[in-house]
Amino acid sequence: MTSLLTNYRIWAYLLFFAVLLALPLTGDDFWLNRVAKYLCFGMLGAAIALTWGYAGVLNLGQGLFFGLGAYAMAMPLKLASYTSLQQGSDQPVPDFMLWNAQPGASTDLCCITPGSWLWIPFQSQWFGVAMAIIAPVIVATLLGRLIFGQRISGVFVSIITLALVLLARLLLVDAQPLTNGFNGLTDLGYFNLFGTELDPYAVTTYYVITIALIVVLVLARLLVATRAGTVLQATRDSQTRALYLGYDVPAYQTFFFAVSAAISGLAGMLYVVVAEFASPSFLDLTFSVSMVVWAAVGGRGSILGACIGAILINVLEARASETEALVEAWKAIVGLVFVLVVIWLPQGLGGFAHDMMRRLTGRWRPEALKQEVRQ
Amino acid sequence: MSVYALETEALGVSFGRFRAVDGVSLKVAKGELRVLLGANGAGKTTLMDLISGRTRSTSGRVLLNGRDVTNLREYRIARAGIGRKFQIPSIFTGLTVRQNIEVAQSHHPGVFSNLRIGRSAADRARVEEVIDLVGLSDQMKTEAGTLSHGQIQWLELGMLMIQSPDVILLDEPTAGMTQAETGKTAAIINRLKGNQTMLVVEHDMAFVRDIAEKITVLHLGRVLAEGTVAEIESDAAVRAAYLGSQEISAC
Ligand SMILES: Nc1ncnc2c1ncn2[C@@H]1O[C@H](COP(=O)(O)OP(=O)(O)O)[C@@H](O)[C@H]1O
Ligand SMILES: [Mg+2]
Repeated sequence: MTSLLTNYRIWAYLLFFAVLLALPLTGDDFWLNRVAKYLCFGMLGAAIALTWGYAGVLNLGQGLFFGLGAYAMAMPLKLASYTSLQQGSDQPVPDFMLWNAQPGASTDLCCITPGSWLWIPFQSQWFGVAMAIIAPVIVATLLGRLIFGQRISGVFVSIITLALVLLARLLLVDAQPLTNGFNGLTDLGYFNLFGTELDPYAVTTYYVITIALIVVLVLARLLVATRAGTVLQATRDSQTRALYLGYDVPAYQTFFFAVSAAISGLAGMLYVVVAEFASPSFLDLTFSVSMVVWAAVGGRGSILGACIGAILINVLEARASETEALVEAWKAIVGLVFVLVVIWLPQGLGGFAHDMMRRLTGRWRPEALKQEVRQ
Repeated sequence: MSVYALETEALGVSFGRFRAVDGVSLKVAKGELRVLLGANGAGKTTLMDLISGRTRSTSGRVLLNGRDVTNLREYRIARAGIGRKFQIPSIFTGLTVRQNIEVAQSHHPGVFSNLRIGRSAADRARVEEVIDLVGLSDQMKTEAGTLSHGQIQWLELGMLMIQSPDVILLDEPTAGMTQAETGKTAAIINRLKGNQTMLVVEHDMAFVRDIAEKITVLHLGRVLAEGTVAEIESDAAVRAAYLGSQEISAC
């Protein structure tokens, strides 16, 4: 094993973590809140890299898992909000349920609208936290078993996931009495972390999210470094050969698909804490496609690269929106960058950095050159 | 236990009324390297298909270390210990040479038992030994997708060897190789000789002279002759079968 300290990848991670941890020194709460949101998007980039880069499974419906995590968190925060607590009943009741309630109906959470009892366990914030991870994992596991068990692969997986997120969005909007439909869940309270209220603009909240991101990145990186991670990459290159070697290929694909879903659920959950809303727009196709673009630009073959890609694009977008002339042009710029990257840097910025480092450390030698040297 | 690693007894198959392999009996000793020679269409590939279970035989038996494996499913024969190099290269292009060998060294099929980093010292030593045997030590960290044609063949050979099969079947291992690559392949096979039972189909006579101990000549699905290189090259029946050609290499 090469010494850990000479491995530039470790340094890249450490440098990135140091930058994130030092950011509050700028003292700009407004930007800190924005960056915290983008760190959640960074988790999404890493989640996409895990399935797309390492398993060759392009999920065009990642927003489904993000959305599940977001709503699972938004529900307890909605119940914790001032408006829900002021409805004159023993239990908190979301305001939109009252607007929807039949005249004379009981104003209890159990029966104010059909299905409103589903909200009862969400009075516990930790139940919301658990569901934000568990629900995406369950959906991903069932879906994975179905898709990968049937040996479905490539573009068909993308089409199925895409269809699924659109279907889920439809159901979400349709279940208006339960979910507030198009308007989503707004007017949320704060998450109470062991007595500390997580104010979206507080440095504490920023650190909670930064630490979550660091844990996600380290775990994901360790996961792909396991033997199972190597087998997963083998299934990406040749499913048949991996099967022939005796590996339970669908199990590998499903497992990493579920891990990717868990990360996305966590991202959605934390996003709600800082953004203070959850909406069906999380399940829009454009959002899921955006995640893929972030990962592609950052480098789908690199968990850190895809994560930084997501953060960078969003920071630049926010900067651009401050300049009048760039607001309209921004979408075109991102589109152009995407096309250029796909053409010239198919492994994204992460892959580019990787090649540069190998060149600098002298480990990078094209085979063709080597052959010439030998002859 | 049988002294023979691989035996076929009057093995045969008919495609319709055509007998592609017609009662072939071979006895390959443990650690022996046997070369199969024969003109195009002689039935060499088909014979390997019968042994590896890709094609079901219609007569005869296949014995592996004395155990009957005739017409078992392909993967079961592979697991029983007959390894065959894939015709179409099927390495994992995105993995390094080392990772390819490691993935082929599978002990556990499931995902959870593989959720750990690193492998045992014995496993690592074996991986390095195999990479060294197939001459890819300098390419250990090279992505397999960037290897040359010859290197890919050697990597596949390594992936086969790490699974420690009792018998390895190689169908034209030097096809498409340069002369230098062919020489290196011969060196690899010579290094395995004595420890690894192998059945090799080969056309290139220079290569055959380099590696062969004992040769079996197939003709029209039957064994025409068996013997050392010198015996085969001077065999009248073999010469006649090749329509008066002066050199066997004409086949
Ligand atoms: N599946 C098959 N169906 C019909 N004929 C076959 C089949 N496989 C092989 N053959 C025929 O069997 C003969 C032997 O083929 P093969 O074993 O490939 O020869 P070799 O490898 O010695 O050149 C050929 O005439 C070939 O056309
Ligand atoms: Mg053939």
